[in-house]
Amino acid sequence: MDNSRRSFLKKAGLGAAAFTILPRNVFGKMGGDNNFVAPSDQLTKGLIGCGGIGRSSNHFTSDQRCRLVALCDVDSSHLAKARELAKTKFNETMTEYHDFRDLIHDPNVDIVHIATPPHWHGLMSVEAANAGKDIFCEKPMTRTIGEGKRVREAVKRNGRIFRLNTWFRFKDTFYGLGTTVEPLKKLVDSGLLGWPLTVRISGATGFAWKFFWTGKENLVPQPIPAELDYDMWLGPAPYKPYNRHRTHDTFRGYWDYDGGGLGDMGQHYIDPVQYILGKDNDYPIKVEIDAPQQHPDAIGIWRTITYTYADGCKIILEGEGFESQGKVPYIEGPLGKVFKGFECTIPNVQEVINELPDPEPQNTDWIDCVHNRRKFALNEDNGFHSCTIVNMGICAHRLGRTLHFDPKTKLFINDDAANQLIDQPMRGNWKI
Amino acid sequence: MRKTIFSILTALAFCCSVFAQDARQRTVETIVQDVLAAMPAQNNSDYCAQMADLAQAAPASVEKLASMLKPADAGANNLVEYAISGVTRYATDPANEAVKANVKAGLENAAAACRDKYNKQFLEAQLRLMTPYEDTFDERLRATYPLEEAKALAKSDESKDQCKALWLYVEDMGEKSEKKILSALRSDDRAVRTTALLAYEDLADDDFYAKVAKMYRKLSPEAKADVLYWLGEKDVHSQLDLVLSALNAGGELGANAIEAAGRLGGRKAAETLFAMVGGRYTDEVVEALKYIDVDLSDMVAEALDGAEGRRCEALLALASAKANKKAAPVVLLHAVSNDKDVAEAAAAALAGVVSPADFEAVALLYDKSLLKNAEDLEKALMVTISPLSDEAKFNKVRTYIDKARNPERFYNALAAAGTDEAVAYLNEKYEAGSSKALDALSTIRNIKVAPVLLGVADRNQDYIKRFVDIVDANVTDLGRKCEDYCQALEKAKSPEALNYVLEALGWVPVQRAFVVLGGYLDNPAAVRTAAEGVKRIAAKNAAELDYFQLNEILGKAAEYYEGTGNADDGYAADEIKTILENAVPVEIFQLSDEEKKQGFEVLFDGTDLSKWVGDKVGYQVVNGCIDVTASYGNARNLYTEKEYTDFVFRFEFCFLKEGVNNGVGIRTPMGVDAAYHGMCEVQVLDHDAPIYADLRPYQVHGSVYGIVPAKRIVHKPLGEWSTMEIRVVGDKVKVTVNGEVINDADVRKATQGHNVAPDGGDHNPYTVDGRNHPGMFNKKGHVGFLGHGSGLKYRNVRILDLSVRK
Repeated sequence: MDNSRRSFLKKAGLGAAAFTILPRNVFGKMGGDNNFVAPSDQLTKGLIGCGGIGRSSNHFTSDQRCRLVALCDVDSSHLAKARELAKTKFNETMTEYHDFRDLIHDPNVDIVHIATPPHWHGLMSVEAANAGKDIFCEKPMTRTIGEGKRVREAVKRNGRIFRLNTWFRFKDTFYGLGTTVEPLKKLVDSGLLGWPLTVRISGATGFAWKFFWTGKENLVPQPIPAELDYDMWLGPAPYKPYNRHRTHDTFRGYWDYDGGGLGDMGQHYIDPVQYILGKDNDYPIKVEIDAPQQHPDAIGIWRTITYTYADGCKIILEGEGFESQGKVPYIEGPLGKVFKGFECTIPNVQEVINELPDPEPQNTDWIDCVHNRRKFALNEDNGFHSCTIVNMGICAHRLGRTLHFDPKTKLFINDDAANQLIDQPMRGNWKI
Repeated sequence: MRKTIFSILTALAFCCSVFAQDARQRTVETIVQDVLAAMPAQNNSDYCAQMADLAQAAPASVEKLASMLKPADAGANNLVEYAISGVTRYATDPANEAVKANVKAGLENAAAACRDKYNKQFLEAQLRLMTPYEDTFDERLRATYPLEEAKALAKSDESKDQCKALWLYVEDMGEKSEKKILSALRSDDRAVRTTALLAYEDLADDDFYAKVAKMYRKLSPEAKADVLYWLGEKDVHSQLDLVLSALNAGGELGANAIEAAGRLGGRKAAETLFAMVGGRYTDEVVEALKYIDVDLSDMVAEALDGAEGRRCEALLALASAKANKKAAPVVLLHAVSNDKDVAEAAAAALAGVVSPADFEAVALLYDKSLLKNAEDLEKALMVTISPLSDEAKFNKVRTYIDKARNPERFYNALAAAGTDEAVAYLNEKYEAGSSKALDALSTIRNIKVAPVLLGVADRNQDYIKRFVDIVDANVTDLGRKCEDYCQALEKAKSPEALNYVLEALGWVPVQRAFVVLGGYLDNPAAVRTAAEGVKRIAAKNAAELDYFQLNEILGKAAEYYEGTGNADDGYAADEIKTILENAVPVEIFQLSDEEKKQGFEVLFDGTDLSKWVGDKVGYQVVNGCIDVTASYGNARNLYTEKEYTDFVFRFEFCFLKEGVNNGVGIRTPMGVDAAYHGMCEVQVLDHDAPIYADLRPYQVHGSVYGIVPAKRIVHKPLGEWSTMEIRVVGDKVKVTVNGEVINDADVRKATQGHNVAPDGGDHNPYTVDGRNHPGMFNKKGHVGFLGHGSGLKYRNVRILDLSVRK
């Protein structure tokens, strides 16, 4: 029945237009039952990747405004667990897919939720955008800068709404920093700290770089488990003999699929900094690395990564075990410093902040954005920028040298090898 | 030295244009082997030095390395992989262009010769990094999206196709696509409309905005809403009037107009919006005024004067949100309004607007207030004192309390001062039965509150958490911190409190914390916190922990992690294994042949304290040493199990921090002050520390405390070991440090036989410290280490019992 409603809408050429009858702001203000959503306004989503993140409580959701209707995984045991979870949590039966392309092209699916390892994010986002679907993608946005460019382009060209899922720029206490981002934004915008600013993302300021996400060398080939379609799990990544450590839960330690702790947590930590510094339309022009020599397959640790913008602003990442000692400011400018817990060298900073104008509003209601075709607060543009910062760091980490970046061409300057890492070949017939 | 040679060589290598042979005449095989032995390089200079050697010997070196690659299931390739990928990256560095061709040739030859699929793939991936990069992104776009396609797509029913068409138009036609963009605004598909505006974004100028404005009138309300939202997002100031014209449109359009006006900002927008406060769209307008970039404080304060009803409430909220200090007097007036709603709104707004000058007024209001808005008023009161110094806070509030009708209401404000005086006052009130005083006390971060909280922990376990927070914020000495947490552990009954303390303990990287946490690995309610704690401490500080306990406790923690089946925990177990693999076993102390012959007995060989009794918490075995963390007090001593009469006591000591104070008790009973009730105490003291500038001679290291001063020596630097011998025969005590006799005392002679004052009084003129030493002539007793604080290690403790030999 649901099926027929949808196909009617598509045939009638209404598509997304049909959703827009409801004015913005209407949610929550409707009289009577606040949770009531007319079936024609209900969105649906399909989940690709039913592993740890996909099945975690914040991500595995279904409600009146957006129903989960389809699941996809290349590991049948993950799929089975998600099937069970949907049954117990929502009392719903899902349409199940093995091939993500089938889920994306399912006419019953409005929104595609991508919760796979990062080596798939670019490909799936582009496929979904081209299929006219809106996209909810887990961080990091893509594992190369080149894939990010293509996602951004596909989302725009198809008039899609894209959400990159990390959220500290608009809500929640920012990790161990002990404050939300908002007062920091107000303070920085006010100019009271001076300019340029240096931001330090370090254990000393409340951020763990998760160095347990490192890979193993000399992996011994193991038999592929029956439940896993390893070839499809790898997809565009180079084919390497199976070893469990490459896959579920531990894939983050291998360059082919992710970028270690930096790849995993980088966009979480760096995106809000980009917002605070007002750099949503800018890129660093230089990245410096201090790290041991890296293995070509397994990701290792690093000591510091330093990004510099053209105006002198810096973002310094300090690896686990290599933190600055003593009292370390999170943000440091020529006129003042801010520490963990919003402790500040500016006297009575809280009062000063209160008198400043609030930051401009951000569009943080995802479903509302889809209905009203508004860009989400963290989208294909600013998400691409912050993901590019992460990927610049990964390139420098892999190559072990300082790289210079040209914001105009979005290429590294005079470094072919670094640029080869911007666009990495895909295996077999996979193309983005 | 090695590094210097390398860099000289590297420099040489780049001076010469031809360098077929290694300057040290090494063969390619040797170079490859040397490099492999140094893989992976830990820092950039080592890396460059190694790779310069390798590159210099390319292509042969690369081919040699590649020939060493084995199939993945046949062995370990990691070092070779490090070397090959390392030299590749080195050669792709623009600074090393000179070696690139040879390395590339090596890789090409190696790839051609490679028979293993995966190794070949690896070599080819390296080669790719050597290939000149071509950016095909833009060309690819042009190839994919020709203009003809755009026209076809535009006719499609599908929203996404129409969107795509718009982008293609803009890209191919530039500004000539303007008409198509404008006409797309008439679409009834919002995706198409918003995409049109987005696609044209980079080309849009005031001229374009004017054209949009011109057709605005004819658009649907939904399309109008899109346009206004977009104008606000893009900060299009030239169309402010268009935005303002729709402020009262209501619905989505009106809401978008208000939001856009707020984003555009400026005085005109601010004043127009401000005039709407109190009207139908008050909520939306107040929201926009919060982020508008205009100072409204005068306007708001003025408008508040005489304002009524809903408009007044909205203005109050606005004044508060914008921290409008100028509005404080008028808000205070409204706080006593007869209109209950207004009065409540004013009370809620006060905290936002008051400053120290308003203290009396707010205090009066709060003191007399009904309970309903007391909370808001208390918040405001706190704001009035928050900029003051702690002393000023205390004085101000304390003075007010004397005239207050409800003094207890001011306890929290007093607590905000947090001074010793505030603690004392509140403690007094608490002891007199005020539970409000206890509540207030528990908000203070002053360390003086800590014992109070622990005292009431049985009543409410939350106080334990508070105690932990206070200790965490105030105590920096790790030993002391650990001890405080251990006290809290004794009081922690609820699993929540227990875990809270254990969590805190897990951040104190000392042996004692490690052992205490280890004890909770068997407690199902606390095992996870304990496991995390021991892992963290071990990761930070494995070298300082006792090797045996490290193995035992970490082994248990690893077992726990392995048992949970969680992937992250698998990592934790791996991490623990690595720590254990890297731990250095302890060397067990053995007597020299001479000491063996003489009949010395080992009292501590580095493994355990089985020959000792007393405070085995303050004295812990850590890596072959006795690690002293005990603080002053009679119970904090460690004694030999046996008693001795005449003996030679030998040991080594090491100060870890400045000003360490300990001592050796001689012929002493347990649990008493050995300096007086034992025969004596021989000082162990870092007397070189500046804090001991005023030390009395009989207190320096090696002195028979209070009786016979030692010769003052200069201690070795912190962290170095010294030997010490104390020979006790009859009334004689002879102290030797690092081979030098620094005290040769006869306590009977020194005091002319008067261990106590002949007149039976407290002052003994025969001792240097003027005190009685009743135990001076003890015939026998224990030997003990007497703790006065942490930061000291002992090792290799042995004794020769002279009475046995006789």
